[in-house]
Amino acid sequence: MPRRKPGALVPLETEILEAALSMQRSGQAAFHGFGLAQTMREQSSSRSLTSHGTLYKALGRLEEFGLLTSHWEDAAAVEGRPRRRLYELTGEGVRVAAAAARPVPGRLPRAAGEPA
Amino acid sequence: MTPERMAWLVTRWVRFYTRDLPAPIAERRVDEIAADLHDHIAHERDRGTGERRIALALASRMVRGLAADATWRGRHAGAAAGRTAPPEVAMRNKVAYRLAVGATIMAMLFLVWLMGAVGVIGVEGDRADLMYFGVIALGFVGAAIARFRPRGMVFVLLAMAAGQALVAVAALLAGKHRSPVTSVYELLGLNGMFIVLFAGAAWLFHRATPDRPRREATKPGS
Repeated sequence: MPRRKPGALVPLETEILEAALSMQRSGQAAFHGFGLAQTMREQSSSRSLTSHGTLYKALGRLEEFGLLTSHWEDAAAVEGRPRRRLYELTGEGVRVAAAAARPVPGRLPRAAGEPA
Repeated sequence: MTPERMAWLVTRWVRFYTRDLPAPIAERRVDEIAADLHDHIAHERDRGTGERRIALALASRMVRGLAADATWRGRHAGAAAGRTAPPEVAMRNKVAYRLAVGATIMAMLFLVWLMGAVGVIGVEGDRADLMYFGVIALGFVGAAIARFRPRGMVFVLLAMAAGQALVAVAALLAGKHRSPVTSVYELLGLNGMFIVLFAGAAWLFHRATPDRPRREATKPGS
């Protein structure tokens, strides 16, 4: 498996950002893991949802890159189910996601704080 | 299998791979997956998906993510153990580890060569030299148990040094120093040299142990 270049996003991370951006544009700024997995499945016309390990590891990486922020939802909104971790694109995340949506051929999108 | 049963299994797996991690990291992962599993089951039931199919989908998501779970754990466990040292410290640890491995291998090869070529104790072919195989075996078994981790290798190398000293004492007690080709000085000199080599390698492994810089950093006045 090739090593990730420092600051470069892997295809799954780009896919997450694109899905998050499309959710934000449709009025859903905050999203949770399963909702995101569903959107990604719909957008890619895939039959299966992204695995737990892959999805949450990638979300953690994007948060570390400063492209996403997250917080636990309010206890009042939980209504007897497990509380969700809600993610939102940061300003930099929106910029990177928008750039990823129109990629330059042969060039991987780069994360925040990395030289272009 | 019901979706709830499969969700329970997935949760068990999450609890397993988050064990011993710092509580905030482990709890976040456990809670996040719990919410995901709940949402997944509720969503599929709303769509009218069969119970068995939901359970299989949950299992599939868990199995496909096993490798990512393992690397995620490795990364957080490493950070929790202080293996995220600054680059210059990490580099120094790496150099010390390589030197330690090199010194150990060279010392062991030299010992084997001495045993075979000229004999350390008595004349060439003296069966007393076979005791050194115990020291070498100690190294191999110890390294396997320590999984080559620097902290464990410190003890392995110290044990090898102690083993080498024991062989020297055993040879002296057996009167091998009275052999025409082995004097007390030769016995002590040769064995002492290996003791120093093994102890030196232990010190290098100690230098390569990742949490050493953190201890230095917490010294008063540093």
